[in-house]
Amino acid sequence: MAVTSAPPPATSGLPPGVSGRPLVGRHDVFRRQLARLGWGFSAPALIFIALVTVFPIVYSVIISFRHVLLYSTGFHMSGFTLNNYAKIIHYGPWRYAVAFTVGYTVVTVLVELVLGMGIALVLERLSRGRGIMMALLLLPWSLITVISARLWQYLYDPSVGAASKLVQLFGAHNPVILGHNASAIIALMVADIWKTTPFVAIILLAGLVMLPQDVYEAAEVDGASEWATFFRITLPMLAPTIGLAILFRVLQAFGLFDLPNVLTGGGPGHATTSLAILGYQAMFEFNQAWGPGAAIATSTALLVVLGCLCFYRVFKAQAAREVG
Amino acid sequence: MATITLEKVRKVYPNGFEAVHGIDLDVGDGEFMVLVGPSGCGKTTVLRMVAGLEDISDGILKIGDKIVNDLGPKERDIAMVFQNYALYPHMTVGENIGFALKLRKMPKDQIKAKVSEAAHILGLTEWIDRKPGQLSGGQRQRVAMGRAIVREPSVFLMDEPLSNLDAKLRVQMRAEVSRIQRRLDVATLYVTHDQVEAMTMGDRVAVMRSGEIQQVDTPQSLYDRPNNLFVAAFIGSPAMNLYEATLSEGAKVLHLGSQNVELPPSVQASHPKLTSFANQQIVVGLRPEHLPAANGTGGATIEGDVDLVEALGSELLVHFSIDARKVTAEGVEEEEEQLASGGAGVARIDPRASVRPGQRSRFEVDVDRMQFFDPSSGLAIWD
Amino acid sequence: MMRNRRRTGVRRYLNVMNVAVFLTVLFVLVPLYFMVVSSFKNPNTIGQSLQLWPAQWTVKNYTYVWTASHFGRNILNSLIVSVCSTILVLALGSMAGYALGRLPMRGKLPILMTLLMISVFPVIGVIAPLYVVLRTIGWLNSYQALILPYTAFNLPFAIWILRNYFLGIPREMEETGRIDGASPMRTLVQIIMPQAAPGLFTAAVFCFTACWTEYLMALSFDSNTNMHTIPVAIGSALSTIYTVPYGPYFAASCMAAVPIGILVLVFRKSVVSGLTSGAVKG
Repeated sequence: MAVTSAPPPATSGLPPGVSGRPLVGRHDVFRRQLARLGWGFSAPALIFIALVTVFPIVYSVIISFRHVLLYSTGFHMSGFTLNNYAKIIHYGPWRYAVAFTVGYTVVTVLVELVLGMGIALVLERLSRGRGIMMALLLLPWSLITVISARLWQYLYDPSVGAASKLVQLFGAHNPVILGHNASAIIALMVADIWKTTPFVAIILLAGLVMLPQDVYEAAEVDGASEWATFFRITLPMLAPTIGLAILFRVLQAFGLFDLPNVLTGGGPGHATTSLAILGYQAMFEFNQAWGPGAAIATSTALLVVLGCLCFYRVFKAQAAREVG
Repeated sequence: MATITLEKVRKVYPNGFEAVHGIDLDVGDGEFMVLVGPSGCGKTTVLRMVAGLEDISDGILKIGDKIVNDLGPKERDIAMVFQNYALYPHMTVGENIGFALKLRKMPKDQIKAKVSEAAHILGLTEWIDRKPGQLSGGQRQRVAMGRAIVREPSVFLMDEPLSNLDAKLRVQMRAEVSRIQRRLDVATLYVTHDQVEAMTMGDRVAVMRSGEIQQVDTPQSLYDRPNNLFVAAFIGSPAMNLYEATLSEGAKVLHLGSQNVELPPSVQASHPKLTSFANQQIVVGLRPEHLPAANGTGGATIEGDVDLVEALGSELLVHFSIDARKVTAEGVEEEEEQLASGGAGVARIDPRASVRPGQRSRFEVDVDRMQFFDPSSGLAIWD
Repeated sequence: MMRNRRRTGVRRYLNVMNVAVFLTVLFVLVPLYFMVVSSFKNPNTIGQSLQLWPAQWTVKNYTYVWTASHFGRNILNSLIVSVCSTILVLALGSMAGYALGRLPMRGKLPILMTLLMISVFPVIGVIAPLYVVLRTIGWLNSYQALILPYTAFNLPFAIWILRNYFLGIPREMEETGRIDGASPMRTLVQIIMPQAAPGLFTAAVFCFTACWTEYLMALSFDSNTNMHTIPVAIGSALSTIYTVPYGPYFAASCMAAVPIGILVLVFRKSVVSGLTSGAVKG
C-alpha cells in the first residue's frame, strides 16, 4: 500500500479503494460544505420564525393551562389547571362562537367556490380582455379588510346605505340590517363573499388555464355534452386547485376578525362573535381574562391544525389515488 | 361500416389563409388510407375537418351516404386517436376506454365486457386499473387506441399516433395498428409525416403538399410511378437522386453532366412522350437502390467520386458526386438531409463491394427504372 | 375550451358571456364606486341620505383626515412597518429559500412542512404571548413590535415562493459559477438572484400587501393613536351607527387603497403566479 504524504481527507465511510486511499471525492467534501452552508443560509430565517412564532405558540398553550392573574405591573402564572378550558366550555358564547365560525366558514367557502368557479369559467373563454378582468378582480383582494368593512357599513347604514334602500324595495320598513341576528350574519357573509370571491376566482382561473386542452377535443369526439364535460372532466382535473383554494379559504375564515370587529363589533349581542373576536375580547376587554383567553386561542389553533391534518389526509389519499 | 368521401373540401381561416385547397378523396369501407406530407401541408387540418373539430369552409364531406358537414363529432360516429393521446389523466385505463360508452348510457356490465375485450386485444389487461400517469408512452398510445376501437365507430381517424414513440417501439406499433385495423375492418384515415409509415401501413396513400393532394395511389404505384417531382422525392428513403439532364435527338441518349447514358428502346416504349423533349432540359430521377455497383456485365453505367460510405450491415450507402446539377423538390428534403448530402447522389450497393471515399466508383444504371420529369411543371413524363 | 366550430352556438355563448362579465364587473365596481365617490361628499350631509353622486363636491374629508386626524402619520407608520418587514423577509427568505431549494441539506422536507403549518396558524393564537413578551421588554407601541411578527409570519410563504423560483433556475448556472471560481454566496447574489427577480417581486408584493392590510396585531400591540397603522386608524374608532364619520373614513380609505391597488395592478402577473405556485407545489 502506498503511503500518502498528505493527510487523508475525511472518509465517506466506504472501504478503501484499490489505491488504498479512502473512497471519497472532492465532490463529497464539497457537498458537505454546501450542506453546512445551507444550514447557515436558512438559520437566520428559521431562528427568527421559531422565536416569534413557535415560542409564542408554545407559551400560549402553557398559559392556557395555568392560573393567570394580572396586575398593573405584570402578570402572574401559577399551577396547572384545566379551569380555563372548563370555563370556556361552559361559556355560552364560546360554544356559539365555535358553531358560528364553523358554519360561517362552510357557507362562505361554498358560495365563493360556486361563484368563483362561474367567474373563472366565463373568464377562461375570453381571449382578449382576460388580463383586464383579472386585474379588476384583484382589486377587492388587495383592499384592506377594514376598509371594505367600513364600505359595507356604509352600504348597510339604515338611513343612507344603498343596501338598505335595496332591501326596502323588497318590502322591509326601515331596515336595520346590522341590528338583527340573522340579517347581520348574512350581511357579514355578503361582505366577505364580495371581498374574497375574486381571490377564489383567480386561483381557479389559473388552474383552468393550465389544464391540457387536447383532452377536451377527445371528450368532444367521445360525445360529451357541455355539462358532462364540466362535471366529468374539468372538475376532476381541477380537483387539486380546488383543494388548494378550499384550504386557503378555510384557514382564512377561521381567523375571522377584521370584518366583524369593524362591521358589527361582534353583535348584535354575540350573534357575529367569531372565535377570534371572542379571544380578543377575552384578552383585552373582559377584565383581561387571560387564562380563558389563551384557552380560546389555543383551542382555535387546535381546531385549525386538526382541520389541516384531516384535509391533508384526505388530500394525500386523493393524490395517492391520482398518481398511484 | 362506412366510407369517407371528400368533394372539393376547402379550409380557409378567418385571417384569409387557405390551408386546404379544394381536395377530393375517397376512403373505401375497411380501407386504410394514409394521408402523408411534410409539416404544414394541411393533412392534420383535413383530418380535423373529417372529425368535426374544424369547420369546413367549402365542399362536401360524406360519411357513408350522409352529408355530415354540419354535424358535430358525436353525430358523425367517428373515433379518433390523438397525437398526444389526450387521455383523461384522472381516470383509470378502464375508465378512459369506457368513457364514451358511459356517456351513451350503456349498461355497466356491457361496458365492462367491451372494455376488457378491447384491453385484451391491445394487451392492456393487467394495467386496466392504473392511471395514465403510471404508464409508459407505448402503453398510453395503446390506451388511446383502445378508447377508439371500443366505440365500434364507422370511421377511424388517427393523427400521427406513433410520432411520440421511440424508433424501435414505432416499428413494433406500426404492425400492431395495421393488425388491429385489419381485424376491425373499419375505414381509416391515418395522418403522418413519415413516409415509411405511409408505405408500410396504407392500402392506399395520399401525398399532400401545401394544401393540395399530389397523388393518391397504392404504395407500390407511388414508388414506381410518381406523378411529379415532389412525390418522387418524398417517397423512398434515401430519397431519389434527381439531376438536370438533356436528351439527345430521339431521346436515345441521356446527357448527365459530362457522362452519357444510352437509353434502350424499352425506355422510349414505356415513355412515349419522352421523344418530344429531345434536345431539351429534363429532370431525371434514379433511386439509390437502382444504382448497384457496376460489375462489368455491360449496360449503362455512370461514374462518380465517392465522398462518404455508410455501412449499414445489409448494404453500403455510397455518397458520390458527379458533375450534373442536382435538383431539389421544395419542401421535401429536410435541412439535415440537405446539409449531409451536400448535392451528392446516393447509391445503395452490395456490402461486399470495396468502395472507399476518395475513389472513383462505377455504378450500373437501371435504365428501365429511371424517372423523367418536365422541369417546368414538375410532372412526370410518360405519355 | 372555445373551438372554431358551431358558429351559431358561439354567438349564443357570446351573449351569455357578455352578460356574466358585465355582472361581475358591476359587482366588483359598485362598492368601490361608492367608496371613491363618497369620499368627496359633504361630511355633514353624507349621513343623511343616500346620494349616488355627491350633492356638493368637496375635499373637506381629505383635508380633515390629513390635518386634524394626522392620517399622514398613519400612512408613515404603515409604510415604515411594511417596507422594513418586506426588506427583512426578502433578505432572510431568499437565503433560506435558496438553501431549501438548492443546497443539499438533510431534513429539508420536515422543515418545509413545518413552515407550511406555521403559515396557516391563526394569528389569534399568538397574540397573547407576544403581547406579554412585548410588554415585558417594553416594546409595546413601537415599530419593532409589528415588524418582527410581520416578518416572522410572512417568511414561510415567501420562502415557498422563492424556493419555487430558485428551483426553476437551471443547475448549470451554479456550476458555471463554480467553474468560474465564485464562492456560493457570490453565486447566489450575483448569478442566481438576478434570475429570480420575478420571484422576488412576487414575494415582495405579497409581503407588502399582507403588512399593509394587517389589523389584529396592529390593533393589539400598537394601540397608541400616534402609532396606529392605517387599518387600525380606519377601523378602530368604533362609533355608534349614528355618528360614524363616513366622509373621512372614505377619504382615508382612498388614500390607503390607491397605492396598493396600483401596485397590484402593475404586478398582477406576479401576484397571480404567486397565488398559483402554491397550486403547483401543493
